[in-house]
Amino acid sequence: MMVSLFMKITGCVLIISGSSGYGFWMVSNYKERLLLLEQLRQMIFLLKGQILYANATLLEAFDVVGRRTEGSLSELFLQVAERMERQQGEPFCQIWKEETKKFAGVGLMTKADRQSLESLGEHLGFLDKEMQEKNLLLYLEQLDMTIEEMRSCQKERCRLYGSLGVMGGLFLAVLLV
Amino acid sequence: MYGGRDCFIDKWDELIRIFSKDIRNILRYLPMDFEQMQEIRMRVQGPFLMIHNNQEFFITPEGKLSKKREDAFWVSQKDLKETLEYISDYSLYAFEEEIRQGFITIQGGHRIGLAGKAVTDRDKIRSMKYISFINIRLSHQIRGCGNKVMPYLYEHGEVFHTLIVSPPRCGKTTLLRDVIRQISDGTEKVPGMTVGVVDERSEIGACYQGIPQNDLGIRTDILDCCPKAVGMMMLIRTMSPQVIAVDEIGSREDLNAIEYVMNCGCRLIATVHGSSLEDIRSKPVFGRLLQDRVFGRYVVLKNQGRPGTVEDIYDSQGRSLL
Repeated sequence: MMVSLFMKITGCVLIISGSSGYGFWMVSNYKERLLLLEQLRQMIFLLKGQILYANATLLEAFDVVGRRTEGSLSELFLQVAERMERQQGEPFCQIWKEETKKFAGVGLMTKADRQSLESLGEHLGFLDKEMQEKNLLLYLEQLDMTIEEMRSCQKERCRLYGSLGVMGGLFLAVLLV
Repeated sequence: MYGGRDCFIDKWDELIRIFSKDIRNILRYLPMDFEQMQEIRMRVQGPFLMIHNNQEFFITPEGKLSKKREDAFWVSQKDLKETLEYISDYSLYAFEEEIRQGFITIQGGHRIGLAGKAVTDRDKIRSMKYISFINIRLSHQIRGCGNKVMPYLYEHGEVFHTLIVSPPRCGKTTLLRDVIRQISDGTEKVPGMTVGVVDERSEIGACYQGIPQNDLGIRTDILDCCPKAVGMMMLIRTMSPQVIAVDEIGSREDLNAIEYVMNCGCRLIATVHGSSLEDIRSKPVFGRLLQDRVFGRYVVLKNQGRPGTVEDIYDSQGRSLL
């Protein structure tokens, strides 16, 4: 009898803590995604500056921006620059696509984030500087919209994830016990 | 051969990276002496050609050289497009100005000439599209090719204003490069001097990300990719060179800058396209310079033998010194 009660209590504690943990993990993921997108926006701004004002090639621009920043995005940029430098006979869009798939921060992104990041590589390098600027501005606009939306919903989403985690755990515990 | 076999492999490996994947496989084992290679030509739906030691060869799909046209590898549009991507580091947009001028200089100082359909805006070329012809002119640094010329360029420890006159493909840039190096490093008899180089097309120093790939001496400052006229004045104001060197002068702006350089007490070493002193004299822009005896030495190169072969050296009055 005592053992059974002990098992039930332990089970409840585990369910509630697991569910709450998941909720807080979602909150942290949300915040990290927001930070990642903000850093990406900053790096795309720097990339635009390198291309438009320093007349840098994509290789130079990715290398310079990658070195100036930190984190997984910096690694992505440096990795792309390195592969471009090796010139192993692959088109840029292929290099970009493959590297974005391997990119460590990809787990924080939504499917839509990943798709728009991947498609950025399909339009870089072609035609003139004006075209590069337009492509980057278009991507920046998309990023801005996502960031704005995330910021405006941040408080309620974080509260929602946190409380849903705890409440969900409680509900499950009640249901199962 | 300068640099030995390893150097040849490095340079060759570095160069073939600009070609499409299919062409790399052909060129990888080509039995050639890099130092003797002068040009590689690609034309869409045309044979793949190479000029080696002043002779033209067709490159076969097996990576061999042939004198027969039917053995040649035929270049496709895909090959050329891919090659252009690699030449520009996937960034043709960064070479708008170069494409307008018809060439791109790549790592190693090799010059890639381009031709296709010019997009014009009134009488000016705005851009170029359907690029279907590529000519890769290989740059070689030949140390010591200026040895014969050097003793004639000094007087009482001072360098003469010097004009190197040469038809295309006779090694004027190669000679200029070695002259710069020797002036900059100095010799046992003459101390080294500070040399400012305005390298408008990155051919002299072959700078890659700001670092010269060719040895231009220990006292040389290079202003890369800068128009000559602006660059010469800028160098004087900023780097106080004793000698200024430029390649292929020709425009009126260049001549105004030359006068500025000379009036500032700097010595000038320049090159110009031409086959003889008379040829230069007949050009309206240069005629006056020759008449005014602005240059103390004229080095005329000839289109025979190895690049940089000197035909004659003249003093300011046009008297032969050889």
